[in-house]
Order: sequence, then structure tokens, then C-alpha cells
Amino acid sequence: MNLMKYYYKRIAASLLLTVSLVGQVKLAVNTIPTRVDVHLDGINLGSSPIKNERVTPGVHKFEIKKKGYAPLTYDLLVNPAQAVQLDFFLNPVYKVRFKTEEKGLVFELNGEHRWDVQLVRLELEAGNHFLRVFKIGEIIDEQTIRVDEPKKFNYYLKKPLSEE
Amino acid sequence: MLKPFFNRIVLIAGSTVILGLIAGCSAFRGPLYPDIIYNNRQPLISVTYEYGEIELILPIKYDAAVPDNILFKIFTQGDTLHPVISILQEAPKEFLAYLPQGVLDIQNSTNLIEIIPQDKNFDPVSVRFKGIRFGRILMPPKTIRMGQLIVSGNTFLNKNDSTLASVDISLQSYDNIIHETQSNRSGSFQLAIPGEYRYAKHLRIVAGENLIFKPYTKKLDFSKVRKLKMDIGLGPSDEMKEPLYMTNKNNVHFREGPDIGSETLFLLEEGEIISVTRVTPGEYHGFIEVDLDDEKSVQMDGWIERTDLRLVNLHNVYEQTVEY
Repeated sequence: MNLMKYYYKRIAASLLLTVSLVGQVKLAVNTIPTRVDVHLDGINLGSSPIKNERVTPGVHKFEIKKKGYAPLTYDLLVNPAQAVQLDFFLNPVYKVRFKTEEKGLVFELNGEHRWDVQLVRLELEAGNHFLRVFKIGEIIDEQTIRVDEPKKFNYYLKKPLSEE
Repeated sequence: MLKPFFNRIVLIAGSTVILGLIAGCSAFRGPLYPDIIYNNRQPLISVTYEYGEIELILPIKYDAAVPDNILFKIFTQGDTLHPVISILQEAPKEFLAYLPQGVLDIQNSTNLIEIIPQDKNFDPVSVRFKGIRFGRILMPPKTIRMGQLIVSGNTFLNKNDSTLASVDISLQSYDNIIHETQSNRSGSFQLAIPGEYRYAKHLRIVAGENLIFKPYTKKLDFSKVRKLKMDIGLGPSDEMKEPLYMTNKNNVHFREGPDIGSETLFLLEEGEIISVTRVTPGEYHGFIEVDLDDEKSVQMDGWIERTDLRLVNLHNVYEQTVEY
């Protein structure tokens, strides 16, 4: 009797699994760099690369965080397909030294981050950043700086930034 | 005694030098800005979908005849105007089509395969089915038959064109009944038989076997059309004046004169109507209607023995309730 109950439970469980799998989309997630924790709708799927997960068609939120890289949030409307594969290329954050010989200047990056010292260490997401230079409250220079590796910037008034 | 003291001095001095070096280096490197500065650059993300295929298999069977070519059209999601795919091919034993994932209605049977034989002897048929997301659909076999042959029309009384309901009507090949029916209350009837009888010889329609009159019989020819419209008049025409009698048995002699030995013009079947004009003690003189090939009839006069006739009551023309 108990054995029959066990088999019934097994059959019911496999039927339930089959029903729940029908309509789901196979999910694979790759990241660069690898071994990054991937969260789907707030649930940790584990470390990338992720294979053979299942996701229902509809809107889902992917969140990826790794030290040294910009955090990534991505909303995806999953189509009712057989499988979907996502490749995330994380933006690195580079360490940058910013130096100037000029005095009395205030620097502002991306409209919100300010400093007034002649030498500062920054952690910048790879890509372009917008630099403004103030002197006695007035903008005296605007430049776009590009960060694609750890580097050192030297700022000279009214001249493009030089890199070391 | 002094050794521990010197050791402690060395340790303190060393620590001071290291701390000084660190502080010096830090001052040299500058302070660390407290926040990571993001530029909200759109990260590079690649999304690749893999769509499955739907393999659709419909076995086809043929009854009696096979059309040369068949046009298959697949409609989905209840749309019967725009097929998702049309395939013209030689009549296959199995129709096979591949559809992209997501085109079929997987909730209801609103998907449709229309099978259109490219031969006017066959009628189009359709198969409704419920879809799947992807994978294989093996459908039950569908049989393609030649189009049905249809005879339709009305039954009426020749005498006054009034509707005759519940008249037995059958289609016969030789004396085998292929299909039979009865006219409805409004006298309408429709008979359909399989298409393979299209070129059958000796195919005929017989109407009125449940009436007191001689049944109406006509040869049918479907060689040019598959649908025949035929209004069937039963009983004597309006030209036949009363009193009306009819023969009560088969092989009744319809003779030229009343005399014994007079020439027999026709041998009449049971139910033949005679419009009686003269009466003698043993014989009736009257007219019968003789049908011609062109659906016209002529009247011929002659003599019949009185015992071979009975009076016709046109108020009840049905065999079962006829009054003698």
C-alpha cells in the first residue's frame, strides 16, 4: 500500500513537473567576466555561466553585481520561444589618478562629483565622462575624458588632458 | 639587560618608519574619491532567441479516385483569409509542413488546413486542429473523396401543382437502392450519393413508390454536372379530366376497341391513370398519358376492362391510406 502511494506520488510529481515545464523558455546566461552572481527577479540563479534554467514568457529583471564592474540591471520581455540566451558584457571600473599643477580650481565630473585637490584617485566606469572646471565659481573649461584602462590624467588649464 | 630595551626601540622605530612610508606614499598618491563614478553607459547585452519548429503531419487517404494535384493552405488563429503557408503538390500520401514557433493557436482549435484538390470532381475539405508551441503534430488521417452527386428539388401533384409531402424518393442503380429519402413538409428533397457514381450507367431517380400512382422514374446523367435540380410532378396532369380511374394490376390491356380481339396498344402497369369518357357494361373508354422523351406527354385513347380499374380519390394519394 505504501509502495503504491509512493509510486502515485512519483507519477503526480513528474506530471506536475511536465505541466510546469510546458510553456517555459530555456534560459542560458553568459557574462564577461565569468563567475558573476546573476539575480533573476531578485532570486540568485548562481554563478555564471548559467545553463538549463527555465523562465516563463513575460517581463523579467536581471541584476548583476561584481566588484570592479558597474552594476547592471536589465529588464527583458521574454518571448515564448524554445530558448533564450543572454550575454552580458559588464563595464569595468578603472582606477584613475587625476593631477593638476593649477591652483584654485574645482573639478566636476558628470555634473555631480566634485573635488578641489590637485591630486585625487578616482574609480571611473569605462567610457566617456564629462569634466567641468570651475574657478571662483565660474566654468572655465569643459572636456570629455575617455577611460578605457587604468591611467593618470594631468590637467593643464585650457589644454586637453594629457595621459601618462 | 639592555637587549630588550633596544629591541623595543628598534620595533618602535621600524613601525614609525613603515607608517611614515605609508603616509608618505598616500600623500604622494592623493586621496581616494569616496564614490565610484559611473557614466551610465549602456552595457553591451546580447539576447539570442532560439525558436522551435512545428512539424505538421497529415496522412491523406483517397477513396476510389486520386486527384492529380492538391493545394494545401494552412490558416491559423481563426484567420481564414490569409494563409500562413500554401503548398501545391502532387497528391501525397502524407502532407508535411514546417511552421515557425508561435504561429498556431495553442488554446483552441482555430487553426485550419484547407485541402483543395485541383480537380473539379473533388470538393475541398478542411481540418481544424489545436496547435502546440513547437514539436510535432501528427494528425489523424483525412480521406479525400470525389465530390458528392446531389439531386434536389420539389415534389408536387401534377393535377393542381400542390405540394406533395412525404413522398418516397430513391436513387437506384439498376434495382439497387443507393440512397433514399422522403420529401419534407414543403415538398423539398435532396439526395446525395458518393462521387464514384458519376459515370455510372443505369442510374435513376424513382419517386412516389408510396403513392397510389405509378412511380415517377427518370434516368440521371451526372457526367457534366454534379448537382441536378429536379422538380418531380406526380399523378395525372390537369389535362386528364375526371372521372379518373387507375389500373389495379400490372399488364392491363389498353386496347384500340372494346371488342374482344381488338388490338392492344399498351400493356399498362398498376397505378396508370385513365380519364374515363365512356362506359359500357364491361369496358371503359378513356385517355391515358404517354410520356415522351422531351418531358412532354401526349394523350391516347383506348379501351380497358372495367374490372381492371378502380376509381381514383385525389384527396388521398398515399398508398397506405388509400380508400377503395
